[in-house]
Amino acid sequence: MSLVVAERVEKTFGGGGLFPRMGGVRAVAGVDVTIARGEALGVVGESGSGKSTLGRLLLGLLAASGGRVTFDGASLPPPGSRAWRRLRARMGIVFQDPFGSLDPRRSIGAQIGDGLAIHLGLSGPGRAARVAALLEQVGLDPRRAGAFPHEFSGGQRQRVGIARALATGPEFLVADEPVSALDVSIQAQILKLLGTLRRDLGLALLFISHDLPVVRHLCDRLIVMYLGRVMEAGPVDAVFAAPRHPYTRALLSATPMLDPARRRARILLPGEPPSPTNPPSGCVFRTRCRHAMHACGDAPPPLRDLGGGQRVACIRADEIG
Amino acid sequence: MRRLLLPGAGVALIVLLAFAAPLLPLADPVAQDTVNRLAPWLPGSPLGRDEFGRDVLSRLIWGAQSSLQVAFASSAIACVIGVTLGLLAGWFRGVAEFLSIRSADVLLCFPPILLALLVVTLLGPGTGTLIFVLSLLYLPNFIRVAYAEVLSARNQDYVEAVRALGASPARLLGLTVLPNIAGPLLVQVSLSIASAVILESGLSFLGLGVVPPTPSWGLMIRGARATMDVAPTLLLWPCLALTLTILLMNLLCDALRDALDPRAAAMQPRLRPIDRLLPGLVPPPQPALLEVRGLSVEIATPGGMVRPVEQVSFSVRAGETLAIVGESGSGKSLTATALMGLLPPAARASGAAWFDGRNLLALPEDQFRRLRGGAIAVVFQDPMSSLNPVHRVGDQVAEAILAHRPAIGAGRARAEAVALLARVGIADPERRARAYPHQLSGGMKQRVMIAMALANTPRLLIADEPTTALDVTVQASILDLLARLRAEDGMGLVLITHSLGVVAEVADEVVVMYAAQVVEQGRVEDVFARPLHPYTRALLAAIPDGDREPDGIPGVVPRPDSWPPGCRFAPRCGHATERCGAEPPALEAALGRRVRCLRWRELPA
Repeated sequence: MSLVVAERVEKTFGGGGLFPRMGGVRAVAGVDVTIARGEALGVVGESGSGKSTLGRLLLGLLAASGGRVTFDGASLPPPGSRAWRRLRARMGIVFQDPFGSLDPRRSIGAQIGDGLAIHLGLSGPGRAARVAALLEQVGLDPRRAGAFPHEFSGGQRQRVGIARALATGPEFLVADEPVSALDVSIQAQILKLLGTLRRDLGLALLFISHDLPVVRHLCDRLIVMYLGRVMEAGPVDAVFAAPRHPYTRALLSATPMLDPARRRARILLPGEPPSPTNPPSGCVFRTRCRHAMHACGDAPPPLRDLGGGQRVACIRADEIG
Repeated sequence: MRRLLLPGAGVALIVLLAFAAPLLPLADPVAQDTVNRLAPWLPGSPLGRDEFGRDVLSRLIWGAQSSLQVAFASSAIACVIGVTLGLLAGWFRGVAEFLSIRSADVLLCFPPILLALLVVTLLGPGTGTLIFVLSLLYLPNFIRVAYAEVLSARNQDYVEAVRALGASPARLLGLTVLPNIAGPLLVQVSLSIASAVILESGLSFLGLGVVPPTPSWGLMIRGARATMDVAPTLLLWPCLALTLTILLMNLLCDALRDALDPRAAAMQPRLRPIDRLLPGLVPPPQPALLEVRGLSVEIATPGGMVRPVEQVSFSVRAGETLAIVGESGSGKSLTATALMGLLPPAARASGAAWFDGRNLLALPEDQFRRLRGGAIAVVFQDPMSSLNPVHRVGDQVAEAILAHRPAIGAGRARAEAVALLARVGIADPERRARAYPHQLSGGMKQRVMIAMALANTPRLLIADEPTTALDVTVQASILDLLARLRAEDGMGLVLITHSLGVVAEVADEVVVMYAAQVVEQGRVEDVFARPLHPYTRALLAAIPDGDREPDGIPGVVPRPDSWPPGCRFAPRCGHATERCGAEPPALEAALGRRVRCLRWRELPA
């Protein structure tokens, strides 16, 4: 059974208050997501695609403005409530910025121990022992629990961030661009660590990234987002082998490749990304799509099943091959 | 911690002195002795007597008690209440925000002296009233500072992280937010204590504060004013005490703020006089656009001299792209900074970088300034912070033109700016030229930066991570643009990047740096097809590309103050032998390129 389920979940920022007509931004516009225990779902998209907002909606850190998110069969309680706070122990988040996500004024041991103190009431030697075990689990020297964040490198800080997220033994982990601020040599280490932890702990993982290749080896399935909508979804291997949406193709072709033989002809997207306050009618990608035609502007294309679990929101997916 | 010692001891001494006044062998501060009025010196009264013949030293110390009592008490009250209100307002927003911020605004609307007069008139003068007035006066400052700090802190990831853990608001505000906003609050405390001492003196001087004959510094100044011509020193002592106390308080709060910050241990590098550079050798005869020979950068740090760039040599020909790659801490960005003549004062470059028959590293700053933005142009990583937010982008491009060709006039410069914007692929350049930076997307801003760099048809472009902050689809179009400009103008390009994928796609030559040194250098197709150095191999293997699972490199880049003795990559290298750990390898010629590895011949391909 799926642990996390989102049905037509939506989030609109602003637009309320005195002038409801003025530019609310639909950061996430009706997205369906299911993640089972032990499964890793990749969310790929560029800035402004709503991928980080989606992550926070699934965690319940933001309240959805439409649709529904359930965790382990129950709807998420409103943020800040007692039930919501209790639920935090079962979910964790890892941030992108290894520098901004750790409190510079507290030792890493204290920060990792926060969750233990809040949810398990642990203190003293019991907490210290648990912190040491967590540090070991993420590949850090347990004797460094008393050190401050600035004494660590970026990759090590990211390990601290992962240890903090794992402290309360969560079932669901959201990793929001956890490697994009790191050097490539360190990226692979952190990806490996996340993969191992997911397998060992049976975590449901939502992995958010702007970089398609990074998702490939860690995730089972992926969804590609553009302007708050899902463009394409499916098993990682299928999407990489045969991307069906024009946006997925542009994204893949833009990723620099080492091997000249594997390099695809670069598809340059014309123009600028449309304003999220005033998205195009119909298919939101059509203003930059070279296959767009008149009918694309009529209605938002539904996600159609193409078989093998691959789904695509493009009315011309079959014609353009 | 050493910084805390002096001001801390000073403040402690003053406070101790003030509150130990009853125990000290001092004359009675209110006992009058009109026979000796205004005596400059008497046995037992080293500072003399005042206009009623009271002992000045005794009054000074007793006066400190009432002055400091008022100052500390009012600042403490204002701080505790103000910070609490500010925290609640900034965290919960809504009603709490409205009530505390608006009431603070109302309080701020009253002129402080007027407010003080009003309260004193209502409640009557006295120490208690004074404390009440002053706390009321300082309350808005604390509310506003705390509020503003909380607003910016609540968006920090580490605050979000603790919230995501389900911490209660009290725990979150107390353990995470408060320590992080403590710095500005401490500054505010020192400011209010200092100004409370002054205000107390002022109000007492006006007869609204401490009631005579209780001594206070303000009353002493007030009394001394009348006899200024006869006994000017009477005015001097309380003023001196006032100044010293305030100065020490400020120093203490500054030191406290630094001491509470665990990051303070990583101190700023100490500056030292920059040594003049020796002029380089004779310029080499070959026609390379840029010829770098043995470039090293040294930085003076508190721990001694470090060399984050060592003996880097390369050349860039016209129309060619040279990429410098490496992890953070490899020295690649400092290499570029040195070439642009933008090193911080604590750093010193040696070696030579020939451009147009001139050694860039020895060029005086005024000549370099003419070169930068002219024949050599620079594009930085972050277009958001490199554009001036209050000027239209067209004007900024025109400004770049006028800085080097003032003769062409503002009108032509603007027309040329629009043409440049069109050239870097900005649609509707006329209209975009009138836009402000915040109205443009990240990719568009980077195009504007490139347009500015191209303003004076540079022959060399140095780009430091020009696409790192951009989305991949935008990166693709920027790289495309750079390649086109290079082909059209024959411009040479030095590209600093950490992305080997970008290097593979756009560069002709590549320099791989590790721990300040070049470890491999050659044509991109050779190096990437058959990397010789284990580090280059490891870097390539770390990239998720194709079906292969990426492999990380264990460990991290060593710091410049602790390079390993032999090969600097040896501690992280899977092929390292004992010899690698002892003997530093030299950069040697190998298969049409250069490589710094003792074992490159033996290693399997």
